[in-house]
Amino acid sequence: MVDAARQPLIDVRTFTEVEKVEGFVGNFKVTLREKAKHVLADRCNGCGDCARVCPVEVPNYFEMDLAPRKAAYIPMSQSVPLIYTIDLDTCIHCYKCVEACGPLEAIDFSQEDKLVEEDIGAIVVATGFGHFDPSVMSEYGYGRFPNVITSMEMERLNNSAGPTSGNLIRPSDHKNPRKLAFINCVGSRDKRYNPSCSNFCCMYSIKNAVLLKQMNPDVDITIYYIDIRTPSKGYEEFYDRAREMGIHFSQGRPSLITEDPETHNLYVHSEDVGLGQVTEKEYDMIMLNQAAIPQPDQNHMSSVLNVAQSPGGWFMEYHPKLRPMDSPTDGIFFAGACQGPKDIPSSVAQGSAAASRASRILHSEEWEIEPTVAVVWPERCSAITKGRACGLCVKACPYGAVRLEGDKAAEIITAKCHGCGGCVAECPEDAITQLHYTDAQILAQMRALLADKPEEKVLAFRCHWCSYGGADLAGTSHFEYTANERGLRVMCSARMDTDFIYEAYRLGAGAVLYSGCHPQDCHYITGQVIGAKRADRLKKIFDRMEMSEGRFRVEWISAAEGDKYARVLNEMQAVLDNMSPEELKEEIEKLKPDMEKRLKNFPGVPGVPEAIDYSNKLAKAITDQKEVS
Amino acid sequence: MSHTPTVKSFADEVKALPGGEHLELCYSCGTCVSKCMIQQKIEPEYNPRRLLRMVMMNMQEEAFEDPTTWLCSACDLCYASCPQKIHISRVINAAKAIAVNHGKKTLINTAMVNQQTCVACGLCAEACPYNAISLVQTKVPYRGIIQIAQVDPGLCMACGLCSAVCRSTSIGIPEKFTDESIIENLWDWMLPQGARN
Repeated sequence: MVDAARQPLIDVRTFTEVEKVEGFVGNFKVTLREKAKHVLADRCNGCGDCARVCPVEVPNYFEMDLAPRKAAYIPMSQSVPLIYTIDLDTCIHCYKCVEACGPLEAIDFSQEDKLVEEDIGAIVVATGFGHFDPSVMSEYGYGRFPNVITSMEMERLNNSAGPTSGNLIRPSDHKNPRKLAFINCVGSRDKRYNPSCSNFCCMYSIKNAVLLKQMNPDVDITIYYIDIRTPSKGYEEFYDRAREMGIHFSQGRPSLITEDPETHNLYVHSEDVGLGQVTEKEYDMIMLNQAAIPQPDQNHMSSVLNVAQSPGGWFMEYHPKLRPMDSPTDGIFFAGACQGPKDIPSSVAQGSAAASRASRILHSEEWEIEPTVAVVWPERCSAITKGRACGLCVKACPYGAVRLEGDKAAEIITAKCHGCGGCVAECPEDAITQLHYTDAQILAQMRALLADKPEEKVLAFRCHWCSYGGADLAGTSHFEYTANERGLRVMCSARMDTDFIYEAYRLGAGAVLYSGCHPQDCHYITGQVIGAKRADRLKKIFDRMEMSEGRFRVEWISAAEGDKYARVLNEMQAVLDNMSPEELKEEIEKLKPDMEKRLKNFPGVPGVPEAIDYSNKLAKAITDQKEVS
Repeated sequence: MSHTPTVKSFADEVKALPGGEHLELCYSCGTCVSKCMIQQKIEPEYNPRRLLRMVMMNMQEEAFEDPTTWLCSACDLCYASCPQKIHISRVINAAKAIAVNHGKKTLINTAMVNQQTCVACGLCAEACPYNAISLVQTKVPYRGIIQIAQVDPGLCMACGLCSAVCRSTSIGIPEKFTDESIIENLWDWMLPQGARN
């Protein structure tokens, strides 16, 4: 950080929070809260006189609360800028520091937080991760037994700049421990707390064990683990080295730690899986490798930046394989563990990649976006026709790209739109259209797909990213499915308009599949949620119409689930096969008037009459040609 | 192309029973074993992790022979500490139910009903935490065809609750835990040495 602060083109703002992010790629307006240090940066020379006289002592967060700090303090020795800060939460206002500072007059208690607005081209988020609090796992006794500590606490105790100057002592009697144990997966790979693997703890515990062993070869170190995961280059070799150094590895997750109340020695109860026997071993000190979890304020940051979170709470990347450093919002990138637990090499790689992605934006005069954006016909918007905007488009947009002000028609901020089509499908007035996926274009496709014997067809709406990929995989993997399937691709399940489904049944389709991504995989943040809500609504409507079970089906199919795609289609075909042709025809005819009633506004959508006209001609031409031949 | 197997394996059978569905999630961490009171106090060979493994690997005969299948009392200490949230006692119970279906006999002394004195009041059936007791029409010597309590040895865990609630002392755990032997133990334990005589 010190090095970065010396670069003329890098402006490091520490002790500063992001309050608000507005605008879009290349044109962000970011409001920053520069917190009051109560010390003037241009006057303080970091001499430390204020801290020496300060009578307040509080736990030092940087030392994992193992050492005290004053109310006038430097957060850590590498702080930028290297000046003191006065912590008003603990300050008792004795003003001894002001006296001690003397003629420098660097201390200013009247200072307040400052809000600064900056023009920003691109944002790289590198907010890191938080630590799981092991005290909630009562079986390990953290917080109750003094000699059960976390590995982070051990790091400070073992650090030459730490509170003990690198002399590793145990908290209960300040003696050097002889028998040590590390416990991995404390709170991670545990469905009760965090189901995912924290990625780096195996290597982290091996590194700590090797360090301790190098400093004092006499200590006895055991690492308790469920599985040791050393997948990167050189990691397995490091693991081998640790084994050769005499570090013990015991497979088996400890179920209980007990303490001898006199000596404060600890007993670890676990099954040694290799032996198939339960063991109870005595240790002087135990280090818990707690899980990496999202930062406590990750939810807040996610709403400030308008970037989605994955199920675990980490920031969600645009694509897990192809664009792991991009957020779904253009111009915002991720570096390091804020996107998921990762070790130092991966964080450095991702950080460099994010920086180069960001510099592409900074060095461009113009920025190309996907052409499938939404466009409003202002004269159809209810704000104009009825004098009151319904606002459904604003609710549907995962990106906040719809602007609705006063009595003006809704407006799409094109640079923010990603083209999921949620607003297009939700608009009750059909006042929004999506370029390249207009109602007319989709309708023309549907009519072509259902031109011939529609009652035998299964019309499948697939989203571009997942279920279309699933269908593709079913094909390339040779999973056979019904030849009566007719696929229709839109960008997201959010675009699957109720009108399309009604129109499909009005045209006499046998069955309709409504498919898209699983909610956590959606490429449009919450596009799938919008689509899923609509699908639920449709399901209820069709139930009320007494449509046969299985003729309308909603399925979330990922690009990796080719087998599921094939299975669902075959099941839908089976539903049609189980109905006699007469029965099916009768049901289709019975429901048609209802569908027509629900579609009465559809022909008013610009382009739709022409599409109907054109597809009618096309259908006629096909039948004519058939008759001739 | 059909992917449904025609013959159900032992693992599939267990997974089809309630509680067995999460069986495959077990990653063999051993927490259940070191938590288990039966392993610590009664049977050192007892090992739920190994039994789950046997079920996964379709080792049906070995699973039927293993004491783990028969001794679990469903105290659920392991369930509360399992990081994969597998309801281990229900997996074990599923394996046990299949073993009983195969005609295997349980290793423990299950509750026995004295057919001559049972009055079919139903208190024991109500008290049983394992739903092992039901009232059944049975032909009893000297009493004719009457309703009396019947214990399903595949379900009974020999906890003795039935014996404690029975008002006609008609149901009990044989051998070590009869009313007489428990009272004997109590006398031994409470009175100072030699006082009984």
